[in-house]
Amino acid sequence: MAIIRELKVCLLGDTGVGKSSIVCRFVQDHFDHNISPTIGASFLTKTVPCGNELHKFLIWDTAGQERFHSLAPMYYRGSAAAVIVYDITKLDSFQTLKKWVKELKEHGPENIVVAIAGNKNDLGDIREVPMKEAKDFAESIAAIFIETSARNAVNVEELFQKISRQIPPLENPEVDSNESFKLTRQAAPSSRRCC
Amino acid sequence: MDGSYSKLIDTFSSEISELKQEMVQPAVPVDREPESAVLRGLESEVSGLFLQASDCAGTGGARDSGYDSLRRRLSVLDRLTQTHPIWLQLSLGDEDARRILQPQPPGAFMVRKSQKQQRKVISLRMEISSNHAVLDFLIKESQYTFSLEGSGISFADLFRLVAFCCISRDVLPFTLKLPEAIATAKSPADLEAVAKLGIGFWDSALSDRRKEAACEPQVVVEEPAQQRAVQPERQSAPPRDSAAPGLRTRAPSHLERSQSKGALCFINPLFQQTHQQPDAPNPEPGAKATTALPANNNHPQQQQQQHREQASSGSPLRNGTHTGPAASQSGTAGGGVALTRDKSVSRSPPPPRPPPPRSRSVPRRPAPPKQRSMPETVAWINTPPSAPPQKEKSSLLGRLGSSFSSSPFGSSLSFASSSSASSPPKRISAPIPVPSSWGKKPPSGPDVDGLRCHLALDDQTIEQAVSLSLAKLSQRNASSVDTASPSPRSSLLEASRGPGEGVGVGCQRPAGEEGGVSARTRGNSERLSDLSFSTSSSDSLDFSSHGFPLSAQSPSKGGRGPAGDSSMEEEEDEEEEEEAGEGECGAESDQEMRPPFKAKKRASAGTFVLPRALRGHLRKVSGVFSSLMTPERRAVRRVVEQAQDKSTYFGCLVQDHVSFLLENGGLGHTSGTELLQTLRQFMTQMKSYLLQSSELDPPIESLVPEDQIDQVLEKAMHKCVLKPLKATVEGALRDFQVKSGAWQQLKENLALAKARRPQEMGVDGALPPDPVAIEKIRHKFHTMHKMYSPEKKVALLLRVCKLIYTIMEDHSGRMYGADDFLPMLTYVLAQCDMPQLDTEIQYMMELLDPSLLQGEGGYYLTSAYGAMSLIRNFQEEQAARILSSETRNTLHQWHRRRTTQRSTPSVDDFQNYLRVALQEVDTGCTAKTLVVRPYATTEEVCQICAEKFKVPDPESHALFLLTEETTQQLAPDTHPQKIKAELHSRPQVQPFYFVYRRIANPNTAADDQLNGNCEPN
Repeated sequence: MAIIRELKVCLLGDTGVGKSSIVCRFVQDHFDHNISPTIGASFLTKTVPCGNELHKFLIWDTAGQERFHSLAPMYYRGSAAAVIVYDITKLDSFQTLKKWVKELKEHGPENIVVAIAGNKNDLGDIREVPMKEAKDFAESIAAIFIETSARNAVNVEELFQKISRQIPPLENPEVDSNESFKLTRQAAPSSRRCC
Repeated sequence: MDGSYSKLIDTFSSEISELKQEMVQPAVPVDREPESAVLRGLESEVSGLFLQASDCAGTGGARDSGYDSLRRRLSVLDRLTQTHPIWLQLSLGDEDARRILQPQPPGAFMVRKSQKQQRKVISLRMEISSNHAVLDFLIKESQYTFSLEGSGISFADLFRLVAFCCISRDVLPFTLKLPEAIATAKSPADLEAVAKLGIGFWDSALSDRRKEAACEPQVVVEEPAQQRAVQPERQSAPPRDSAAPGLRTRAPSHLERSQSKGALCFINPLFQQTHQQPDAPNPEPGAKATTALPANNNHPQQQQQQHREQASSGSPLRNGTHTGPAASQSGTAGGGVALTRDKSVSRSPPPPRPPPPRSRSVPRRPAPPKQRSMPETVAWINTPPSAPPQKEKSSLLGRLGSSFSSSPFGSSLSFASSSSASSPPKRISAPIPVPSSWGKKPPSGPDVDGLRCHLALDDQTIEQAVSLSLAKLSQRNASSVDTASPSPRSSLLEASRGPGEGVGVGCQRPAGEEGGVSARTRGNSERLSDLSFSTSSSDSLDFSSHGFPLSAQSPSKGGRGPAGDSSMEEEEDEEEEEEAGEGECGAESDQEMRPPFKAKKRASAGTFVLPRALRGHLRKVSGVFSSLMTPERRAVRRVVEQAQDKSTYFGCLVQDHVSFLLENGGLGHTSGTELLQTLRQFMTQMKSYLLQSSELDPPIESLVPEDQIDQVLEKAMHKCVLKPLKATVEGALRDFQVKSGAWQQLKENLALAKARRPQEMGVDGALPPDPVAIEKIRHKFHTMHKMYSPEKKVALLLRVCKLIYTIMEDHSGRMYGADDFLPMLTYVLAQCDMPQLDTEIQYMMELLDPSLLQGEGGYYLTSAYGAMSLIRNFQEEQAARILSSETRNTLHQWHRRRTTQRSTPSVDDFQNYLRVALQEVDTGCTAKTLVVRPYATTEEVCQICAEKFKVPDPESHALFLLTEETTQQLAPDTHPQKIKAELHSRPQVQPFYFVYRRIANPNTAADDQLNGNCEPN
C-alpha cells in the first residue's frame, strides 16, 4: 500500500515571476493569462507518486509583493521544501531570489530542500538571466535547479518530481507510516535520494 | 413498566455507587481520566445502552489493581479514538480496503470513504462463509450526526458510531471487532504505540491476521437465554488464546454478571428513530445474515431484572446461568465489552424487527424528519397547529420542556424515566425556558448549540439525580396523556410576511425568531428532542481528556452545591461572548423579538432547577465543558485550540499572523479593503489547509458530517483570527478612513442628511420609523458593532432591514418592494447618525463567507452599502437620488470579486472528480461524481459511467458536453478533465454539464429535465 506523506512546499520569489502560475499548472494543469496577484498566500495540494510512496504536496503559494514579504516566514518555517522562482527575463527577480536564499539560510528550517526555478522559459528571446549563471548559483548552494514554463507546461511536473526525490524515504515505514496521518512532524528532509 | 423502571434505577444507583467508590481510590492514575458516566435527559428509548469495559479479572481471577483499573479505564471509545490512524482510512480505495481486510478475521473493519459511493462506509470483514469477504456499510451523514444506513440511531461523530457498533451490531450482521492489539492494550501508551503504525498496522505482526485468518469469528453474538440453544457449539468452543482477549458482545443478561465495577459509560445515540416498521428493508445484502439471529429483546423486563440483581450484587464473578463457558468469557475479558440494554431500548435488533413494545406509556416519539432537510422555521409557523403531527411534536416538546423546566433533575432523570415524565402543570403556563439561542440559529443549519442542554453529569450527580428521581418516581405516573401545551400562534403568520423573513438563506436568524415564542418552541421541539439525544451522545465517551475528576472536585458540594451562576450559562458565556451583545439587543426587543436567552433563563430560574442543582458541580469540572458541547461546537473548539498551539504548523501560522497584525495593524496595506481581503484570504486558505492536510487529528471528517465542515471551520477561523483582531482591524479601518478624508466627509454629510425629511430622501408614501424605532435600530447597530463575526453582524443587519420593512408595512398596510426600501433604509441610516456603520458594512462585505453572499445577506449588504454611499455623497447626489455610477461600479466589482472567488473550483474539481449526469428518457437525470484522473480519456470516462450507472448497453451511450446553448458529443480521445479545466479558466464561466446518454437520440424534452436536475460541475 502506498503511504501518503504530506510535504509542505512554499513558493517564494519576486512578484510577477509566475509562482501562482507554476502552482496552477502543476495542480490544475491549466494556465491563466490574466491571473491576479496573490494576496497573502494561497494554498493548494496535489498528490504524486514517488517510488512506493505517495507525496501529497501541500503548497503554499506566497504573495511576491514586498509588503507581504513579512508573511513569508510563517509559511516557509514549517516547510519541507521551498521553491524560489525567478523570471528569466528579469534580472531583478534573480537578485531577489538571492535574497530569499540568504533569508532561508538564516531563518529557514535546517534541512529545507531548496529548488530554484527559472520561469518563463518560453520567452527565451528576451532572456536576461543566463541559464549557466543561475545553474552555477544553484549548485553553489546545493539547490535543485530547473527552468520552467508554466505557460507551456515545461518542466513543472519535473520540478516537483525533483523535490520529491530529495525527500528521503521513511526509514521504517512500519513504524513511521503514521506520519502520513499525523503530520505535525514533518519528515526531516536530507539530501539522500530515494528513487 | 414502573416496576422495571425503578429496577433500572436501582441498577444505576448501585453501579454508580460502586463506580464512585472505585474512583475515589487515590491510587488510580489519573492521567487518563475515567470515562464519564454521563446520564442524559432522554427518552427511555435511548437509554440503557452502556458500554462496559469488561472486567479483566477473568484473565487470572486475581485482580491486578494497577493495570487492571487502568485497563478498565480504557473504554472502547478511548481505544477507537486513540487508534484512528489504524481504522479510519478515509482516503483508502475500495481495492486496498479489500486487500487489507481479507486476511483479517471476521469483524475486522475500517472506516473509509468509498470511491464508488462517494460516501463514508464501514468496510467489514464478513464471515468466512459469507459470499463476500468484505462488505461496505454506508454511513449516513446528516445534520451533525452520523448513522448507519438503515439504522435509526445517530451519533455525534464517527467514533461514537463505531464504538456503538463494536458493542451492538444494530443493522450490521455482527458487531465490529477491534483488533486484539487494540482491544487488549493496557494503557494509552500501548494504544499510542499501536496507532503509530497507522495503516501499516494491518500488515504488521500485531494485526490478528496470521493467527486468525482461518478462524471462526471471534465475535460472538450471544442470544438471549431462551434462544441459546441455537448455537451451542460456538459458545462451548474453548478460548483460543486466553491471553489475548477479544471482544464479545453479550446479551443483556450477561452483562449483569460482569463487574459492576467496570468503568461505565453510556453511549447515547443522537437520534433514535423508532422503527415503526417491523420489517424495515435492509439495504445491505450482508445484513441478510442477521435474520438468522433471534431478536434479543424479547423479554426485556426479565432481563432487566436480572440485570439489576446482578449489578447490585456487585459480584465480580461471571457466573453463567446460561452463558457459554466461563472460559470464553475470561478469555475475552480484557478488552471485552458488555452490552446491556434497557428494556425499552428500541434500538431494535436487526431485521426482522419486532414492533417495539406498545405498552409504552409515552407518546411515541415521531420519527425524526429526514434530518438533512430540517424544515425551516417558517414552515412550522405556517402549519396549522392543529395538524396531528404538529400536535405530536408539541407534545414531545411538552415532555421535554417539562424536563427542562420543571422537574428537578428532569433531564437527567428522563434517561431512565422513559421521559414519561408527565409534566407538572405549570409547564403549560410558564414559558418554557428554552435556551433562546434556538431561535437565533439558522434554520438551514439548525444550530442546536444553544439548545442542546448539556448535562453531562459526573457520577455523583448522577447518583443524586437517580435517588431524587426515585423519590419522584411515585409521583410520576406513567401517563401517556398528551400534555402538550397548545401553541399560541396567530401572530406568527403575520410575522412571516415581509422580505426580511426568509432570512434563512444567508444568515443565521431564521424568520421564526421574529415569529414569537410558540412557533419557535414548537418548531424547536423537534430539535430539542434531537438535541437531547445528541447531548447525551456527545460525551459520555468523550475523547480522552475530559473525564470527571470528581473525587478531587470538592465532593462536599454535591450536586446541589451552592449555586453561583448557572454553569450552563457560564458555558454559554464562554462560547458566545459575542452573543452577549445580542442579548442586550434583544432585551430592549421589538415586539416580535424574543427576549434573549439569558434574560429568559434568569427569569425562569425558579423552574430551571436542574442546571442549578448541577451547576456547582459542573463549573468545577473544567474538562467537562467540552464534553458538554454539541458536535459542531466541539469541533470548533478543537480547531480553536489547535490554533493556540504553536507547536503545530497551523497554530504557528495563525498565531504569527495574528500577532503580526496586532503589531502592524494596517501598516503595509494600502486600504482598508485590502486589509480585509488579506484577512479573508488568510482564513480561506487556512480552512483549505485544515481540510486537506492531516493536521487536524482526528480528521474533521470524523467529527462533523461533511456538509457541516465548512461552516465549522469558518466559525473556528472567526474565533481564532477575527476575534483577537477585532479592535486592531476596526482601528485600522478607521485610520484609513480618516486618512483618506472619507470619515470627515461622511460625518458632514450624515449631519446634512439627518436633517432631511423622508420625502427628500426619496421615500415615497411609506411612513418612516418613529424616533423610538430609530433608537431601537441604533441599538441593534451598536450591538452589531460589538461582534466580530461577520455572519452575526449580517444577521443583525437583516433584522434591522426586516424591522424597517415591518414598520413600513404596518403603517400602511401594504407591501413594499426594494424600490421603496432603499430610500427608507437611507433615511433610517441617516437618522441613526452612525458614521462607523460605513466600516461595519465594509467589514461584512469583505469578510463574510462567500457562500453567504449569495443569499439575502448579500442582497441587504448591497442595499446597505448603497444607502451609505448615498449618504456619503449626499451633497452631490441628493438631486439625483440615485446611486452614482462610481458606487454602482464599486458594487459591481465587489460582487464579482467576492463571488468569483467563490466559483473558483476547488482543487479536487480538477484533480480527481468529474460530475457526470446520466440522462435517460424515462427516468430523467441522475448525476454522480466520479473519480476521473486528469488525463483520463473520454473513452475511459465512458467506461466508468457504464459501470457506475449500470448501463446495459454502453456502446450506444456517449459522453456529451452541454452548455446552455450547445450540446456536443466528446470524441473518445479527448480529456474531460482538461475540457473542464479549460471551461473553468474562461473569464466568464458558463454553466456546463457532462452528460452520459444515449447516442442519436435527440430528445429535447430531456434537455429541460437536465437543466432542472443537474448541478453544474
